[in-house]
Amino acid sequence: MNAQVEHETKTTRRRPGFIAFSFLLAVTLIAASWIYILFVEEASLFALFSEKNLEHTREFLFSMMGIGVEEPAFFSKESWMNALRLTYETLVMSILAIGFSVIGMVLTVIPASANYADGTLMLAKKWYSRLVYGVIRILYVFSRAVPELIWAMLIIFIFKPGILPGAVALALHNFGILGKLCAEVIEDLDMRPIRSLASSGAGKTQILIYGIIPMVMPKFITYILYRWEVIIRTTIVVGFVGAGGLGQQFKLSMSWFHYTEVTLLLISYFILVVLSDFISEMLRKAVQ
Amino acid sequence: MQKFVDLHKRNLLSGLLILVFVWSLFSVNWGPDLFHSGGKHTILQMVKSFFQPDLSPEILQLAVTSAWRTLAYAVTGMTLAILLAVVLGVLASGILYNGKQRIWVKSSLRGLLGFMRAIHELVWAWLFVAAVGLSPFAAIFAIAIPYGGILGRIFADMLNDVKPEPIQALQSNGASRLQLLCYGYFPLAAADMISYTMYRFECAIRSSAIMSFVGLGGLGYQIHLSLDDLKYHEVWTFIFFLIGLVILVDLWSRFLRKRLVS
Amino acid sequence: MSPTPVFELKNISKYYGEVSSLSSLSFRIDRGEVVALIGPSGAGKTTLLNILSAMLPPDDGTFFIDGKPVSSLTSRRQRARKLGIIRQQFDLVGPLPVVHNVLAGRLGEWSLFKSLLSYLFLQDKELAMHALHRVGLKDKIYEKTAHLSGGEQQRVALARLLVQKPEVILADEPVSSLDPARAEDIIGMLVRLVKEENQTLIASLHSVDLARKYFTRIIALRDGQIFFDLPVDQVTSQQLSDLYKIMEMKEDAEVC
Ligand SMILES: Nc1ncnc2c1ncn2[C@@H]1O[C@H](COP(=O)(O)OP(=O)(O)O)[C@@H](O)[C@H]1O
Ligand SMILES: [Mg+2]
Repeated sequence: MNAQVEHETKTTRRRPGFIAFSFLLAVTLIAASWIYILFVEEASLFALFSEKNLEHTREFLFSMMGIGVEEPAFFSKESWMNALRLTYETLVMSILAIGFSVIGMVLTVIPASANYADGTLMLAKKWYSRLVYGVIRILYVFSRAVPELIWAMLIIFIFKPGILPGAVALALHNFGILGKLCAEVIEDLDMRPIRSLASSGAGKTQILIYGIIPMVMPKFITYILYRWEVIIRTTIVVGFVGAGGLGQQFKLSMSWFHYTEVTLLLISYFILVVLSDFISEMLRKAVQ
Repeated sequence: MQKFVDLHKRNLLSGLLILVFVWSLFSVNWGPDLFHSGGKHTILQMVKSFFQPDLSPEILQLAVTSAWRTLAYAVTGMTLAILLAVVLGVLASGILYNGKQRIWVKSSLRGLLGFMRAIHELVWAWLFVAAVGLSPFAAIFAIAIPYGGILGRIFADMLNDVKPEPIQALQSNGASRLQLLCYGYFPLAAADMISYTMYRFECAIRSSAIMSFVGLGGLGYQIHLSLDDLKYHEVWTFIFFLIGLVILVDLWSRFLRKRLVS
Repeated sequence: MSPTPVFELKNISKYYGEVSSLSSLSFRIDRGEVVALIGPSGAGKTTLLNILSAMLPPDDGTFFIDGKPVSSLTSRRQRARKLGIIRQQFDLVGPLPVVHNVLAGRLGEWSLFKSLLSYLFLQDKELAMHALHRVGLKDKIYEKTAHLSGGEQQRVALARLLVQKPEVILADEPVSSLDPARAEDIIGMLVRLVKEENQTLIASLHSVDLARKYFTRIIALRDGQIFFDLPVDQVTSQQLSDLYKIMEMKEDAEVC
């Protein structure tokens, strides 16, 4: 009795401990970061609003809106067609990207689940499953810790510019994220139906087809669609380094100061994002 | 036929998605033209230098300061994002006001939050740099806006999902709307709000790292420079630092979330 | 000489660390018997059923199925023909249509190719239809299993057993104590089907009333030992109250 009380107070005392530590750490980080930005980097908020800067900003915004521009891109049919083509290209890139990352995820996700590695999922264990589990999990961490853009910067040294390197870069980052999310789905699987299938005489492959896959599929598809939404948003960014689509054109238009074209591209990008959110939501409802 | 459709609703959908992917494969011009002529050689070099990152003191020192800069941009950007998100989230949740305009205000604010997050942080960064020139504030604002949008929408949802009983109890004690917020809604939703913010903080590190692309310093900038000079050994050093930073933040946020939830 | 019993246990014991979960159980169960296993929670019912289903090896004693040691059930097909297991409805794969959950009872018989084919084009469909008809769910064949009510899901589990056709059915608390009317419904159906198919049934139950109403023999466990093992008409109310009373006191004592 006594021991239990003591144990409880210990845990309750320890819990706020970590939270208090986190709070302190957060405050320190925030203070140090702001001090660094304001005093070491000497970034001045007032300088941002200087006369000269405001003038410059106004000019930029006006030229984006096409005020005082001779032939604003958004009034030209040709520019619209071009933007449409680029939007389509971007869409294809996102589909390739999610497809590649799903292939990578599907090939690795089962051995990457802790319950497969310790033999509870398939009711069988091999000596190397722990090792394989560790290796894949490290790959996942590595893949998702590196941002898409940095993957793209590396990939573009190997592939010629186009939508494929963009798709590969996006896939490399999303592979780790999807892998982690989906492995967790398998780890949270209800084991009772699996054991029941086994007791009805089902073998490994049959358990996979009639047990594991139907149970994880809805969640997998939901995660895949969510990631696709994120990928759509990010396609523009990998385009910056020459990986095709709207992003590549955005970069070119920016460096040629064709700001009305930039506006047009941003409109197309925005429409694509909204549209893909809508489609993804529809599909997610359909699988439920 | 109808029975077949009944039996395979989800499979048909998956099949359709697979078909879309296969069809997208045809838009790529497969062939030897895909690769740079030296592509294979480059891969080999990159892989080789992966195992021999440059660990000279100068590079390590550079990596540490760049990592700090990346972290600082992420933290300052997140600070602003949280402020934005709390203000906009409270307004978008509609708990502060009543009456006719409520629905209108709610949906227009949610639309604004959606717009903020629809556009990628790097695009925001580029627009800022184009508008106000190269300043750390361009990076900070570029992080603050989309993250403010994401956090704001989630905060609004969390405030809406607060259990109604404690709020009603406060109301019957005669609390004003602002008091309700401070003594009811915030304390009840705080754990969830902080958990989610921590979860996003990890992403903010990555976002901060790529801000370098528009010319702002940090790990991404160093990776960029080293790549331009084809110094792959250095590239990997910086990438390893980035991964380390992300893992540290991930571990912190995971432990904190576990503590907050239980 | 009497025919070979389905199960024959001699001095079976099972230990978890220091505590013995079952100590020196001996009994035999003949073909066609419908046996209820009762006793307070922690008495060892689940442990015993797991041993009978050959999922858990006993630590001591000898155990024969059909006069042969368990190790003779080598292939999973042989096992599935001999033993069927049913628990509460949690055993079903929720996102699959009902028909696949029923046909899962055939997986032990099917070749790998046939089971792959059946995912697209149902195999042995009449079998599933017939089984669903017998449990009164004919019109739910293509429904998503998770959309069915709890009672209907339990009937799907019964239909699966009908398709599997094991010689012996082991049921570990197949019904929950929360809904007595539905529990009676399911137990009644289970016992009726078992008798129609000439199967042997061993089921652990919370409810003594259900055990007395539908079963022919009751084995009562307490503290891992047989408290009594009698044909149902010889069980007295006194014995039943003794079985639970002692345990209640023990449980009370354990709370502090
Ligand atoms: N895996 C296990 N590890 C340790 N002890 C166990 C385990 N399974 C059962 N026991 C113990 O064995 C005893 C019998 O449990 P069980 O067979 O589940 O009883 P019942 O099903 O009658 O409630 C209990 O005291 C329980 O604590
Ligand atoms: Mg039990």
